[in-house]
Amino acid sequence: MNVLLCSIKTLEGLYDISGVEVGQHFYWQIGSFQVHAQVLITSWVVIAILLGSAIIAVRNPQTIPTDGQNFFEYVLEFIRDVSKTQIGEEYGPWVPFIGTMFLFIFVSNWSGALLPWKIIQLPHGELAAPTNDINTTVALALLTSVAYFYAGLTKKGLGYFGKYIQPTPILLPINILEDFTKPLSLSFRLFGNILADELVVVVLVSLVPSVVPIPVMFLGLFTSGIQALIFATLAAAYIGESMEGHH
Amino acid sequence: MANMIMASSKVPISSPSPSPISKPRIPIQISIPKLPTLPKLSKSQILSLSSSLSVIAATSLSWAPPSLAEEIEKAALFDFDLTLPIQMVQFLLLMVALDKLYYSPLGKFMDERDAAIREKLGSVKDTSEEVKQLEQQGIAIMRAARAEISAALTKMKKETQGEVEQKLTEGRKKVEAELQEALNKLEEQKEETIKALDSQIANLSDQIVKKVLPL
Repeated sequence: MNVLLCSIKTLEGLYDISGVEVGQHFYWQIGSFQVHAQVLITSWVVIAILLGSAIIAVRNPQTIPTDGQNFFEYVLEFIRDVSKTQIGEEYGPWVPFIGTMFLFIFVSNWSGALLPWKIIQLPHGELAAPTNDINTTVALALLTSVAYFYAGLTKKGLGYFGKYIQPTPILLPINILEDFTKPLSLSFRLFGNILADELVVVVLVSLVPSVVPIPVMFLGLFTSGIQALIFATLAAAYIGESMEGHH
Repeated sequence: MANMIMASSKVPISSPSPSPISKPRIPIQISIPKLPTLPKLSKSQILSLSSSLSVIAATSLSWAPPSLAEEIEKAALFDFDLTLPIQMVQFLLLMVALDKLYYSPLGKFMDERDAAIREKLGSVKDTSEEVKQLEQQGIAIMRAARAEISAALTKMKKETQGEVEQKLTEGRKKVEAELQEALNKLEEQKEETIKALDSQIANLSDQIVKKVLPL
């Protein structure tokens, strides 16, 4: 019995330490629907960080920018640059979409790596980056799909659908398939990268609690930034692709 | 999965473990008075004990894992629900809010500043043209001044030369006049001396005649 209890306790202990709670959610019931509360909570924190910092930095713009404003101007220039290189000269109206996509994903990813979410105990599941959940990434990917359809239809009207038979009508199925693979690849790339990154860090921490996970954590930060940039760049590229004229 | 493995592995371990420990104890206690009867009882008791223990162990195991098992059963990675549309709406709201708070105002501010700087740069270029014009004007003024100065210089030179020449001619005339006078005087003196000589010559000729003739 003692041996048994001990073994159970140690196993439970290991289970607690490793804390790999993959795919476990803290559910809230809204009407007859369930929501993943941990995702919503973390996304609210991310949104609060974004809005708060933007308000503080851009509240009173100076001609000669101060530190915060300088940083935000740099970020805006960066977003504009990404949008301009991918979309072209008519990038103006798409800056908010691309910028919010980049900033939301970037801050989400980094919040998962940098903010001590584990301090807050949930009854079930645990707090992590909002992009750790497939719902978030699919939502963003579907919005990207809607965005590029909207861009193409407003630019070219129904002539937009001419691109499906553009090189030859034989490619019609592949062109249609592309509309499904685009959001799929976007969402799964982001989701898989962030989840895998957090898992690798958690598993390494459970195995070797000191020093060794640090480079992996830095790698995770790097990957998070790259993923945010990739998502935003690809979204802009899809929008630009649907807006450009076929000769 | 892990709990399943745990549960399956522990039940067989639990059933043998109590029986060897409990079996020797009771025989040692009751081995002296009656060997055949009690062991049977004890065996049955032990069996019942061991079975009950195993049941307890099983129940405890079965009581502990279900919570874990439930958790692991619910491991839903691809669990789509209302979170998805909520995230979409949140994202769109964030986009609008950030556009109002960040992209539009700061972008407009930056564009205006760029335009102002460009304008200032343009005006600076214009002033450089003005400076060129002013420089050319200055050069022209300098040229005119130099021309004036050289004209004045030449004029002054001419005037002074004229004066000098006048004075020179005056001096020459004076000298010539004086020369003429002096020449005239010399001529007069010459004539006088010639006259005087004539008279002296006549005297001498007279004297010579006188001296020669008496002989």
